Amino acid sequence: MIELNEIGRTYTRPSGESVQALTGFSLHIGRGELVAIVGASGSGKSTLMNILGLLDRPDSGSYRFHGDDVATLDVAGQARFRNRHVGFVFQAFHLLPKTSALENVELPLLYSDRSPVAGLGRKALEAVGLGDRMQHTPSELSGGQQQRVAIARALVNEPELLLADEPTGNLDPTSAGEILDIFAALNREGKTVVLVTHDVAIAARAHRVIRIERGRLVADDSRESAAATGRTHR
Amino acid sequence: MNTPQLITHSLRTLPRHRLRTAFIMLSSFVGAAALTFVLCVGEGARRKMLVTVRQIFGDSAIVVVAGGNQLMGGPRPDAARLTLDDIEDTVRGMPEIELWDPQQTMTVAAKHGNAAATVRLLGQSERSERVWSRSVSRGAYFDAMAVKRLDRVALIGETAARSLFGTGDPIGGEIQIEAVPFTVVGVLERFGTDIHGMDRDNEIVVPISTLMRRLANVDTIAAAKLLLRDARQGEQTAAEFRRRLRSRHALTSGQSDDFRLLTPVEVQRMMGKARSVLSLYLPLAAAVALVVGGIVAATLMLGAVSARIREIGLRRAVGAQPKDIAFQFLVETSVSVFGGGVAGIVGGLLAGQLVASRLQLTGAFSWNAVALALLMSAATALLSGVIPARRAARLLPAEALR
Ligand SMILES: Nc1ncnc2c1ncn2[C@@H]1O[C@H](COP(=O)(O)OP(=O)(O)OP(=O)(O)O)[C@@H](O)[C@H]1O
Ligand SMILES: [Mg+2]
Repeated sequence: MIELNEIGRTYTRPSGESVQALTGFSLHIGRGELVAIVGASGSGKSTLMNILGLLDRPDSGSYRFHGDDVATLDVAGQARFRNRHVGFVFQAFHLLPKTSALENVELPLLYSDRSPVAGLGRKALEAVGLGDRMQHTPSELSGGQQQRVAIARALVNEPELLLADEPTGNLDPTSAGEILDIFAALNREGKTVVLVTHDVAIAARAHRVIRIERGRLVADDSRESAAATGRTHR
Repeated sequence: MNTPQLITHSLRTLPRHRLRTAFIMLSSFVGAAALTFVLCVGEGARRKMLVTVRQIFGDSAIVVVAGGNQLMGGPRPDAARLTLDDIEDTVRGMPEIELWDPQQTMTVAAKHGNAAATVRLLGQSERSERVWSRSVSRGAYFDAMAVKRLDRVALIGETAARSLFGTGDPIGGEIQIEAVPFTVVGVLERFGTDIHGMDRDNEIVVPISTLMRRLANVDTIAAAKLLLRDARQGEQTAAEFRRRLRSRHALTSGQSDDFRLLTPVEVQRMMGKARSVLSLYLPLAAAVALVVGGIVAATLMLGAVSARIREIGLRRAVGAQPKDIAFQFLVETSVSVFGGGVAGIVGGLLAGQLVASRLQLTGAFSWNAVALALLMSAATALLSGVIPARRAARLLPAEALR
């Protein structure tokens, strides 16, 4: 489903010095996989996720999604791609303040060119167990609940790919466990899930663990238990 | 994108930024109100000026004012040189002048019983009724005999009558002007305020001879109005009159006039000047208020956009295109800017009507003001909301979300 080939991404700091966040990075991910990305702070995990979700552009290399070159899409095309195919979950939740859970979840529908279907937001919230909190604003929800709202938002347009950059980084262990259960369940229902984590225990639940060091892929371990279909290795 | 949903969504975000919305509304309110107010009052003043000038000059008249080249200002020694005989002798032998009326004025204390009032006292001839086109609404104008005999008769304006007689009938009443007793023989037609904002109904008119001899003890007059037989002869007649009066005053060619002539052409010129003040400079001042309001709104929006850069990043991350972001901010700013602007227009119109009626101007309504205020509001909304939002939306979502 995803083919990254020789991706490079260099940032220029305000001081003028340049940082190679990703170097010659190649990775294939198949449909239905649950992939954990691990690595030290500053190793390039977020950069990788942003490029996968088209929130950032690689400087070199190619990105094919179902065989289509998506890195070269124009701005409108990239926005449509994000809207249809990707659900992004952030460490910092990024919910609109003073806005109900339901309205937050329905945000991607505003920018969708599919004809509006009633009840999608409600369905997504129910799927993450928040059917009774739809009118609550983020400040009225716990951290774990806020992240579940964010997951519902990522699900509302029914994308194939879920990207989560340290989704449990701001949560206590109990809530983190619940969030992880949700991702595992979504993966069992057929979603492709890529998540960044520092937590070894979390990484242990993934089928496949990718390790990054200084912008390079250094390890790609698949577990025996992970007999997902259509999976490709490098 | 789902435009109707995006609009309702944008509208729902407004109350979530209550303070900012309120300030943007306030700034465009103030600007629009100032502009509408000034344009409406200015329009009222312009109409009032036209009416008053017509009342004073009619279509064909020359006004002679004592004193040199300035129309207003302090006393001048040579101002004392215009006399009744000056006019009478000069006009004699000028058949193009149909009729004339002299005028002398002073501010006096008038009394009736215990009631007292400060009024403007005008000394005029019996011809004043025709020359100034202001007659009496009740009673009768004094006649030539009264002027000749220095009669102590008075015509009273409505305001002065009310302060001295209350609701009672002033006709036949006895009043003291500077302790000299007069009999009221008529009530002057209502006039209203003049261009200087002076209440022309707070006046008393007496024979000019009476004023000069019995009250002021002066030999000179302040002004005279000459009615022309033919309006087209205005400039020639004025030139001829000037030549005669100069020679009567024995002015040599090096000396400037010790009187001033207001001819129809000159009045037109003065009105043009006044009009440009009313229709150009005042609105310009108000437009400055509007622009300042716009800048305030733009600054607030600019701040809002950078405060909401993450929100923009998030919206982009879930699929918003830059034009969707611009559209949302356009809706948000339009509502607050136009909301404030329309309220400002209404407020400015109301205040304008109120002030206009206080100044006894005919209540004026200026479509120009409304159009201009709306136009400026639109420009403000566009500049302050959309441009920064478009720029923010061009950032990569990853950058905006950091
Ligand atoms: N916009 C940017 N400008 C300059 N340098 C950047 C920028 N974004 C990332 N970097 C640098 O690129 C490198 C990789 O950053 P990245 O955020 O991908 O790391 P990470 O693995 O996600 O780290 P963490 O675990 O702390 O989130 C770091 O050295 C970082 O400082
Ligand atoms: Mg990171």
